Amino acid sequence: MVPLNRKEQPQLSTVSPGIIPEVEKVVLSNGVNVYLIDAGTEELMKFDFIFEAGQIEEEIPLLSSTVNSMLAEGTKSYTAEELNENLDFYGAVFNNFTEKDAAGISILFLNKHLKKILELCREIIFYPVFPEAELVSLMNKRLQWYYLNQEKVPNLAYEKFFESVFGSVHPYGRKVIASDFNGVTVQMLQDFHTDCYNPSGMTIIVSGKIHQVTISILEDYFGKLPAKRKNKKQYLAPPAEKSRRVTLNKKGAVQSSIRIGSVTIGKRDPDYHGLKILDTILGGYFGSRLMKNIREEKGFTYGINSGVTSYNLAAYKIISTEVGSEYTEKAIGEILNEIKLLQNVPPGKDEMDIVRNFMLGEMVRMFDGPFALAESFRAAWEFGLDNNYYYDLTTKIKTIDPDEIIHLARTYYNIDDLHVIVVGPE
Amino acid sequence: MTEFRRFQLDNGLKILIHEDSSTPLVAMNLLYMVGSRNEDPDHTGLAHLFEHLMFGGSENIPEFDSPLQLAGGENNAYTNNDLTDYYITIPAENIETAFWLESDRMLGLDLSEKSLEVQKRVVTEEFKQRYLNQPYGDSMLILRPLAYKVHPYRWPTIGMDIKHIEEVSLTEVGNFYNKWYSPDNAILAITGNIKTGEAMKLAEKWFGNIPATKRVQPVFTSEPIQTEARVAEVRRDVPSDLIYKAWHVGKRTDRDFYPLDLMTDVLAGGESGRLYTSLVRDKKLFSDINTYLTGDIDPGLMVVYGKLMNGVDIEHAEKEIMNLLDELLSSAISTYEMEKVKNKFEANSVMANTNIMNKATHLSLFEMIGDAGLINKEIEAYRNVTPGEVISAAQKYLVNSNCSTLYYKSIK
Repeated sequence: MVPLNRKEQPQLSTVSPGIIPEVEKVVLSNGVNVYLIDAGTEELMKFDFIFEAGQIEEEIPLLSSTVNSMLAEGTKSYTAEELNENLDFYGAVFNNFTEKDAAGISILFLNKHLKKILELCREIIFYPVFPEAELVSLMNKRLQWYYLNQEKVPNLAYEKFFESVFGSVHPYGRKVIASDFNGVTVQMLQDFHTDCYNPSGMTIIVSGKIHQVTISILEDYFGKLPAKRKNKKQYLAPPAEKSRRVTLNKKGAVQSSIRIGSVTIGKRDPDYHGLKILDTILGGYFGSRLMKNIREEKGFTYGINSGVTSYNLAAYKIISTEVGSEYTEKAIGEILNEIKLLQNVPPGKDEMDIVRNFMLGEMVRMFDGPFALAESFRAAWEFGLDNNYYYDLTTKIKTIDPDEIIHLARTYYNIDDLHVIVVGPE
Repeated sequence: MTEFRRFQLDNGLKILIHEDSSTPLVAMNLLYMVGSRNEDPDHTGLAHLFEHLMFGGSENIPEFDSPLQLAGGENNAYTNNDLTDYYITIPAENIETAFWLESDRMLGLDLSEKSLEVQKRVVTEEFKQRYLNQPYGDSMLILRPLAYKVHPYRWPTIGMDIKHIEEVSLTEVGNFYNKWYSPDNAILAITGNIKTGEAMKLAEKWFGNIPATKRVQPVFTSEPIQTEARVAEVRRDVPSDLIYKAWHVGKRTDRDFYPLDLMTDVLAGGESGRLYTSLVRDKKLFSDINTYLTGDIDPGLMVVYGKLMNGVDIEHAEKEIMNLLDELLSSAISTYEMEKVKNKFEANSVMANTNIMNKATHLSLFEMIGDAGLINKEIEAYRNVTPGEVISAAQKYLVNSNCSTLYYKSIK
């Protein structure tokens, strides 16, 4: 027997996401688009009902999220208690979500309950009654959660960051304040609901083990609802804000939250793939430059990471960490140094190989199973993109060269553009 | 059904393999049967600190993460009172790298002063981030020693005191490794796109020649039966009051576990749970209320905790919780309510099966508590619970003298 060679890594194969399954599109008779992702081994399905009903649509703070949270607080045929009872009885995992650009509900359930679940979803989405008493009660609870969040240092730092980067007026940047919890009325909820939650603006993504009958059942429940044309709104992009340093003192804090970043290019930009790769090198995985330096070398923090996020009208990049407050300035200095290094020294082949393969492995995970597939589909579809977005990203990961990394770091990581936010003890 | 095969190597390593060809990935879960309960009361937090050191390089491999990333893999780890768990997902074609890495750090670690010093600092920052720098973060640091006086569950995994972490020496760390990190104290689960034969061949190749370390299995001093109610009160700069109530219950492997678990769902499983419906929705006393079982290997706790709405008197709120619990003890649970909580369990367990990493973790955990086959038997165990058993379990444990209460009050 050949003695075991433990010094050398076993032979590796090139990782590749391969062929990404194409999503099937079906249009219900009232024009609602349904995307079907049939995969998986268990008798389960997930439905995402997505509307143009995000924060960007709201005239006053909290309106979109309140409408969304109130959907299941009583409908034409069910009280809030009855809805909760039913959802729990069928073992469904129900979530409502409000994002910057979109809002909706998602529900995961055993296939055998399909009809009941769709009946409940239709009630929740299209026939909420927004009882005054439930609104008051919800706002009281949310106000209390708000006060709690105001005690969380990382949360304060995010708030300051978005306000600094997107401005205090635009829905992408504005902060919620305590008095906003008194500003929403039942009438406003109803108007917003009529405007934003109607079939003409609805998209359904179905993922899981999909049987043929699902489509006709969907048609029964959602295909006959009258679709009123919604007037296309004109959205304004957030204004360009000047970079600045913001410091906020939080009494009793034992760590400082640091957020550094700025607006950047979005998903539709041809340089976006390259920027994602650059971001991964900087702070996008456990072996990143920032992790190695600030956690593994210096022990200033439990974790540090960076990310790039795209909205419909703008995008931003952010570096985020909680550090022992005595290390605050040193940590900021090291973060800026790491950026400068990327602008001046090409990454070596070993590091490039690791990042390439790590990212390709991530892409395999992004298409593993029905729910991951659905999430990846949505992440491209929202921007009017399709699988080609992922094929292009794969190609870029495989072919990008170190000089391009330098070029991208110089173009998109200009130190003077960065907003630096620190929230910590005095 | 999660079909799996069970093997054991000559050195004692237990191996569980489940094939799932619907994924391009393989998951590897390596569980070591050592957690914070195995620590010396004067040196707590060592098991968790050690988990950090496992990433600092091993006998033949200078760094753990880079080769894994190079193979397209991803990994992490966690420590709790009973165990330390390391897990990887990796594209199937590169699975051998996972065997190579995990086996080498079982064979021998490259422990250095430098990496110990850095990881002490990282863990100190973790301690601050999780326990000190957020409202109510220190609750478990108060509740555990209130409920447990003797058993090692009286300290949390991060440690009783951050000083314990600062004082650990390289020798202690080395001894800890030698004592606990060996094949006869570990369970390896492999799930995903790999054939059983291939997985076994690789396991034998990479783990087969690692020597066993015979150890005397520890016997923990059992917690004496609590005979009178315990109360602690703290005042902190938090926005509202919080109440915790914890009762001693049995072990994860006790028959009582299933009825008790269903009881927590009757009380707080989803928004239709009794506590939520009555105390959050109807009476508006709490902004949030929940209950759970710790599910530990040694006798654990059932915990109820709720955040109060401002202006609500904490004793009044507590009385309302107790009224609901009394109601549970004295009146029957309807067939409908039983059906509801069982359905929920069934749905959750099917959902957990969609993920190979979940399956690998569950197989190892069940094997540690006696039988990986529980992964397929639990739905039935829950289905068989009668309403009478839920009430008996409640009557047995939900006794005032068995309860520890923490009033976490706002100074505002």
